[in-house]
Amino acid sequence: MVLGPSGSGKTTLLNLVGCLDQPTGGKIEVCGEKVAEITDDRISEFRAKNIGFIFQNFNLIPVLSALENVEYPLTLLGMKTSERRERSMSILGSVGLSDHARHRPNQLSGGQKQRVAIARALVKGPSLVLADEPTANLDSTTGAAIIDLMHRVQEEYGASFIFSTHDPQLISHAQDVFSIRDGELIEHRSEG
Amino acid sequence: MTTLNIAARNITRNYRRSLMTISAIAVGTMSMLLFGEFVSQIFVSLETQNVTRSGHIALFRSGYFNYGAGNPAAYGIRDYQDVIGLMGEDAFLKPLINVVTPTINLFGIAGNFDAESSKTFVGLGVIPADYNIMHRWDEHHLKLGTTAGDISLNEKDESHGFIGAGLARILGLCETLKLGDCPERQRGDQETVQTKSGRNKRDFSGLEEEAKQTNSDAGNGPAPRLDLLAATANGAPNVVNFYVDKAIVQGIKEYDDSFVIMNFNLAQKLLFGRGEKKAVSIVLQLHQTEDIPVARARLEKLIKDKGLDLETRELTELQPFYKQAVGMFLAIFSFISIVMAVIVLFTVVNTMSMSVMERTQEIGTLRAMGVKRKGIAVQFVLEGILLGLIGATVGIVIGSVAGEIINHAGLTWHPPGQAYPTPLLVRTKGVGHLLFGIWTGLGVMATIAAWIPARRAARMKIVDALGHV
Amino acid sequence: MRNRLFFYLLIMALVTGAVEKAVSGEENRPSAQTVIARSDAVRNPDRPFRLDLRLTEYVNGSERNEVILRVYSKIDRTSGQFKNLVSYMEPPRDMGKAVLMNGTTMWFYDPASKSSVRISPQQRLVGQASEGDVITVNLAKDYSAKLVGPHDGEALNDADRKPRKCWHVELTPDNDGAIYGRVEYWVEKETDRPVKGKFYSDSGRLLKIAYYHKYQEQLGVYRPSEIILIDAVNTKLVTTINSSGHHAMEIPDSWYQREFLPHLKVE
Repeated sequence: MVLGPSGSGKTTLLNLVGCLDQPTGGKIEVCGEKVAEITDDRISEFRAKNIGFIFQNFNLIPVLSALENVEYPLTLLGMKTSERRERSMSILGSVGLSDHARHRPNQLSGGQKQRVAIARALVKGPSLVLADEPTANLDSTTGAAIIDLMHRVQEEYGASFIFSTHDPQLISHAQDVFSIRDGELIEHRSEG
Repeated sequence: MTTLNIAARNITRNYRRSLMTISAIAVGTMSMLLFGEFVSQIFVSLETQNVTRSGHIALFRSGYFNYGAGNPAAYGIRDYQDVIGLMGEDAFLKPLINVVTPTINLFGIAGNFDAESSKTFVGLGVIPADYNIMHRWDEHHLKLGTTAGDISLNEKDESHGFIGAGLARILGLCETLKLGDCPERQRGDQETVQTKSGRNKRDFSGLEEEAKQTNSDAGNGPAPRLDLLAATANGAPNVVNFYVDKAIVQGIKEYDDSFVIMNFNLAQKLLFGRGEKKAVSIVLQLHQTEDIPVARARLEKLIKDKGLDLETRELTELQPFYKQAVGMFLAIFSFISIVMAVIVLFTVVNTMSMSVMERTQEIGTLRAMGVKRKGIAVQFVLEGILLGLIGATVGIVIGSVAGEIINHAGLTWHPPGQAYPTPLLVRTKGVGHLLFGIWTGLGVMATIAAWIPARRAARMKIVDALGHV
Repeated sequence: MRNRLFFYLLIMALVTGAVEKAVSGEENRPSAQTVIARSDAVRNPDRPFRLDLRLTEYVNGSERNEVILRVYSKIDRTSGQFKNLVSYMEPPRDMGKAVLMNGTTMWFYDPASKSSVRISPQQRLVGQASEGDVITVNLAKDYSAKLVGPHDGEALNDADRKPRKCWHVELTPDNDGAIYGRVEYWVEKETDRPVKGKFYSDSGRLLKIAYYHKYQEQLGVYRPSEIILIDAVNTKLVTTINSSGHHAMEIPDSWYQREFLPHLKVE
């Protein structure tokens, strides 16, 4: 978890880790790849395979159904239709949205959308999932449910979650907490 | 869930905007189609008019085309019957040819001296049976002949023929030939008497009668008589009786005021007099216009092999107006096409740009998920193509319907160089290549147009895009 | 025996000779060609000369136009025909204009533009230019003559309605330079004077009728001082050509060139 006030640079940090941005100075190594030195297309491939994202605005593709949104990352990886379909339905089931598979995002509630987003982030079995303020647009009940879900899937699928937040509820679930302020790491607490 | 599928769904996102874009493209397509069909009709009509009148290929003595019009007798083709026979028997040429016939071009003075009128004329001597066959040529099934009325040349009487309506008026035959609209003739300035001895009268009676008699003997039924005077090949004055069966309006005034079409034998008698009887040109009319190059090549070969002193000229050389008219319409059509293409370009660029802007965050998301730059670009380009092709298809369908409506509306117009009001038609048969060209062209245009905003979308910085609300 | 044969032959010769004479009628009937040649000589002097022509055009009998020309004529050695250099004297608007005629070649010079223009045969079909060829033409050179009509001559009224006894001759072209397809010509028997001519085109149509009359002595011979030219195509048109002032003179060949036209000065 990356903790810090607004403007402290947590989004920037997450962006860098997620290989969405390039550092202005210094080096990055993520899961063994020297990210700064390779082409944009290779970075994209890297992200497609290894990194999942969860956004505070859910960022679902509006013209795709819930199932299709979840399938999308697998389509990018060139998976066969049947296998893709199976996996997506399965993970949708895990987040409890099997009944809503055909619904478009505009037919889902905020919490449901975020659950789809989570399913989408995880469907390809990434090593890393980055969540930037995932509960910011949800009420506390829903937010808590989402937090529970993320915890569960993290254990189930074994991905490392990095999320930035200023939601105190989340803190208790974090293994490592990195506090930053003004772009600098000020504290690192680890829960074993 | 193919990219195409997604593109289609994205188009329907902003239903109204997409509809507007498609409509704009459709209207552009329809306009191009209708104008293109209109122009096609003109081409085909012009071609038919010219081919029925002067055939596809003409043979002349070498040098006649550039230098001979002032003295056609000097460029006569001797043994023209042999040359015609040569062409008619050639295994290669024979199946291509509809008519091959000799003609005479000459000029002189046409006089209706009883009415004190005379005018220079330009004459064409043809073999009536051949000429009448030529007139029925209709490769494109236009059935034009029906509007111009029956204009078959008199095949029986050599001394009969037609003249232009303007010439008929000038020679005082307006009423006799039932031209309609015969205003009272104004005489203009008459010659004032300029004699030294003053204004005298003399009585030539008894002497004149003999001269008058020879002409009045030559009565020949209702057709009015003209004197056609011309100089023979040897420079001697010659004159023949010519009976006008009909006055036919020619499209161009200069032509209308001097045109005479007469029997080949009569023209030969007039132009060559007591000298050797020749032809001035040999005209070929083929079955199909597209055969001109091969037929001409074969003719050139025959001419060369036999060592004949002849040259060939084909349709566009014989009728420069035809070539110019075609050129002009093509230029206009090209101009309109460019305008339409630019409109399609701007419309699609505008629509796609708005679309890109609205979906900035979505673009960021896709990129975050691992879509490559090219993938983003392809997505948007595809949407542009879809808009373009749907618009073009709609346009073609509407245009085709509109074309049918126009063709059945009974409209007429006066093309330049045409004497009679012509039905306003657009050509709906045989324009497949036009349809395909427009459709493909606009599709390409839409692709290019979508490429510009698509590139912008692809190049967005992911972080900025994600942060965009 | 031989004597008898000889005698028979002699009788035969005499008889046939007499018959022949009876058939031919008069003694010394000239050939048609000779008649024409002699009529040419009546009209045309045998040396270069100058004369004045008054051409008057009548339409339906009323005078319409008149010009007065001075003509310098000389025989062209190769063709045997006259070449003519014509200068306009009257009316004042035409004064100074000049025309050169040699065979079928005609040049027209206009002092106003100071340029000479070739008049092609196509341009000479009607109008004054078409009248020139009946005046000084030598018919015998370009045409073959044949006597048609009665052997001892045909009675014909001349322009003044006086009956004349004439040879009626038909002329057909001898060469390509001959202008008419056919000519009918009447020459008075005793005097070799042309009385009337009918000129036909190659197509067989009558183009002109010419009457020669008002014979006066000019340069030692009685020549027609007036020719009435009736247009048979434009039948309202009659032209009279009056000649006077015949004057034999030396005329240099150099005058009969286009370049000379601007320099022609008439006294």
